[in-house]
Amino acid sequence: MEDDDQQKTLDLVKELVHRLLSHNPTAPNNAAQNPNPTDLNNSFRYAVRILSSKLTPSIAPDADAIAESIKRRLATQGKSSKALSFADLYNKFASKTGAGSINNKWAVLYLLKIVSEDRKVSQASQNSALLLPNLTLDDREIGGDSRNSRRGDKGWENGVLVVAKDPENLREIAFREFVDLIKEENEVSEEVLVRDVLYACQGIDGKYVKFDADLDGYVLPENFKVPRSTRTMVRKLCELGWLFRKVRGYITDSLDSFPTAEVGTVGQALCAALQDELSEYYKLLAVLETQAMNPIPLVSRSATSGNYLSLRRLSVWFVEPMVKMRLMAVLVDTCKVLKGGAMAGSIHLHAQHGDPLVHEFMKSLLRRVCSPLFEMVRRWVLEGELEDIFSEFFIVSETKAKESLWREGYRLHSMMLPSFISQPLAQRILRTGKSINFLRVCCDDRGWADAATEAAAAAGTSTRRGSLGYGETDALENLVAEAAKRIDKHLLDVMYSRYKFKEHCLAIKRYLLLGQGDFVQYLMDSIGEELSEPANTISSFKLAGFLESAIRSSNAQYDDRDILDRVRVNMMVQSTGDRGWDVFSLEYDASVPLNTVFTESVMAEYRRIFNFLWKLRRVEHALIGAWKTMKPNCITSNSFVKLQGAVKSQLLVTLRQCQVLWNEMNHFVTNLQYYIMFEVLEVSWSNFSDEMESAKDLDDLLAAHEKYLNSIVEKSLLGERSRPLYKSLFVLFDLILRYRGQVDRLYEGIYELQRKSSKQTAKKTSEPPGSWIGEGRKALTQRAGEFLQNMGKELGAIAKEYTSLLEVFLSELPVQQHIDLKFLLFRLDFTEFYSQLHPTK
Amino acid sequence: MDPEAAKTARESLELSFQMSNILDTGLDRHTLSVLIALCDLGLNPEALTVVVKNCAQKLSSSPPPTPASSS
Repeated sequence: MEDDDQQKTLDLVKELVHRLLSHNPTAPNNAAQNPNPTDLNNSFRYAVRILSSKLTPSIAPDADAIAESIKRRLATQGKSSKALSFADLYNKFASKTGAGSINNKWAVLYLLKIVSEDRKVSQASQNSALLLPNLTLDDREIGGDSRNSRRGDKGWENGVLVVAKDPENLREIAFREFVDLIKEENEVSEEVLVRDVLYACQGIDGKYVKFDADLDGYVLPENFKVPRSTRTMVRKLCELGWLFRKVRGYITDSLDSFPTAEVGTVGQALCAALQDELSEYYKLLAVLETQAMNPIPLVSRSATSGNYLSLRRLSVWFVEPMVKMRLMAVLVDTCKVLKGGAMAGSIHLHAQHGDPLVHEFMKSLLRRVCSPLFEMVRRWVLEGELEDIFSEFFIVSETKAKESLWREGYRLHSMMLPSFISQPLAQRILRTGKSINFLRVCCDDRGWADAATEAAAAAGTSTRRGSLGYGETDALENLVAEAAKRIDKHLLDVMYSRYKFKEHCLAIKRYLLLGQGDFVQYLMDSIGEELSEPANTISSFKLAGFLESAIRSSNAQYDDRDILDRVRVNMMVQSTGDRGWDVFSLEYDASVPLNTVFTESVMAEYRRIFNFLWKLRRVEHALIGAWKTMKPNCITSNSFVKLQGAVKSQLLVTLRQCQVLWNEMNHFVTNLQYYIMFEVLEVSWSNFSDEMESAKDLDDLLAAHEKYLNSIVEKSLLGERSRPLYKSLFVLFDLILRYRGQVDRLYEGIYELQRKSSKQTAKKTSEPPGSWIGEGRKALTQRAGEFLQNMGKELGAIAKEYTSLLEVFLSELPVQQHIDLKFLLFRLDFTEFYSQLHPTK
Repeated sequence: MDPEAAKTARESLELSFQMSNILDTGLDRHTLSVLIALCDLGLNPEALTVVVKNCAQKLSSSPPPTPASSS
């Protein structure tokens, strides 16, 4: 078979040579010429020698690439119609397969190409082969043709150059010298450099251009002889390679460290977006590489080609990818240490750029990067779920007890807050999710899901994943606003209707703040004596019994059973020497979820107010009791009759003193009571009611309640600034209670006296020994006189003390900041009685 | 050769000839067919071109032969 082939080959070659030599298109008669036999033999031998030298072709056997280059050449020569028909023919040619077709199509094409080029070249003069190697085919051909035409009449005589006096010859010489110079300098050809640069731009070391770790860049080592301009250009182009390395390094690092959970979902999104950009970049590089291969370098020296892709062309192509790659490298640098929302925020800052290319690029990156964040927001706002394994979200949760879920369960993590989400929006987002969780955990409510779906429908997005993206911050705001509105409303509805928040507030006002007057009266009446005992002897069960009976006998019995159950007696921490009065207090039991509003500290505040009000009530009660005793009645009037003159006048004086003092004290206490009840409590309550009506969400409600409490505390002299005043007030109260004691004693004495004297008149029989009645009337009078004198003195002391204390109190009152206390002063001193007493004020 | 293969071969040759005309190689149909056959047998096309060029040179260098007596 081999021999057969060989013989066939030889025959064919012979045939070929014969044909070629006999073919002469310039022959006038166009007849087949018979060649010289010697010529024929020579040629044949030469042919065989060449063909058996087993030269391998210098190009890859790619028929398509060759066809492309032929087409391009035809097109650049301006023969575009020919190019089209060639393309057509080639398509048909290439589609012929099977028996009888040509197997090595590429060989045929290559053959045709070289032959046609050779012909063109041989039609030009010989010198054009020595032209600049880097010029394009165009220039060469044009130059060759023009030179050809110009030299048409010159003729060549055995290759001897005829030097003539025309400038073109000089140019020729100059060109030749230059070509020699370039050949000297260029150890490395441009195509190879271009290919190396293309490799460098993918991060791979080429034959000559390698990555130098010391210089941190791709360099052409010094030992290769390359002109300096080329070196600089290579350096510039390899910047792209350096940037590419950086970006790719970041991506691989992130992907590696993903299992260790240092890179969060946002980081992964960034990596994915960068990888997409890099694949675009690879596409560009692939196109450039095919360009670089084309046109193909040829073996035949007479047909040189300029490479389509020179370093300069490459630098033009690289302009846009360079910009993008630089952006990506900058991003990679800033985002290496950031995570989550902070990363999104910093990328957003980069996107604030005037250049539309940069802006668009950053925007598309951001859209990808923010999608996990937005997803988290959406889930939080519509479902209250925080799925944040890598802690990238700007809301963090802390496990707390149910009571403090609202206040402390969730908070904003401002580091992770991206800059395109403003603070108010973030607050609203936090509150909405908190409300959902609150409803779910504390209120056992399921209705929020409907509210959420409604909100989503209203905002135009769905409750599915991935319906929001960056650049749609408006849509996000819309969604959040809708969700917030609905969920807040729902929460407030639940608070008001299911948990009867308002009713509870009212109940606290009535019981803890002593608003239910008749109940307080009964309570005071029943446990009054009980509380005068030392604290450790009082049992809270007994007190609870009293409480119950007080409730039953007042209007409070018509109240809601649930509310009444919550009112309890609370004995505070006792120290020795305390009376019941000091440790008694009522408390209200608020359960979840109401204890979000009525926390421990809030209840402590209420207790303080209760204590104060209770004391005030006690004093009032005491004074009223005193009045009851001091009513003019027959006993006292009788004593007027029976007693002697001196004693009588003394009695009158004492009584009068007593009455006057009582009046003063009563005036003070009544006005204070009035002030507290109406100007402080009721006013604050109505303000609070209004605010409750207009509250939009639980935060508002909490704030309103705090304001309510604070205003009560401030106005009723319990605040920090009123401390000295508060102390003097208590001293006053003590004084009043002492007075009451005195009054009781006085009247007891009077009754005793009365009884004695009436007894004396009624019965003249013998009295039991030891009583002073038996001493007779004189002794009685004397005793009475002494007694009354003592009383009078003590009452006088009390009166003096009272006046001085009141003066102190009143003097401190105007100093207070709160404007309402001025009203108290006005009430207490509306006749300016006190200020007149002390005109120095 | 069956008629199908013959037809394919003829068409391929025709197409190659037309391509060669577009490229202005100056080869005629017969020469081209020989060249194609040689390429198909696996010879290096560059070598073949050298042969062609050589012969062309020889042709252009030698004066147009007078109609001599055929051998």
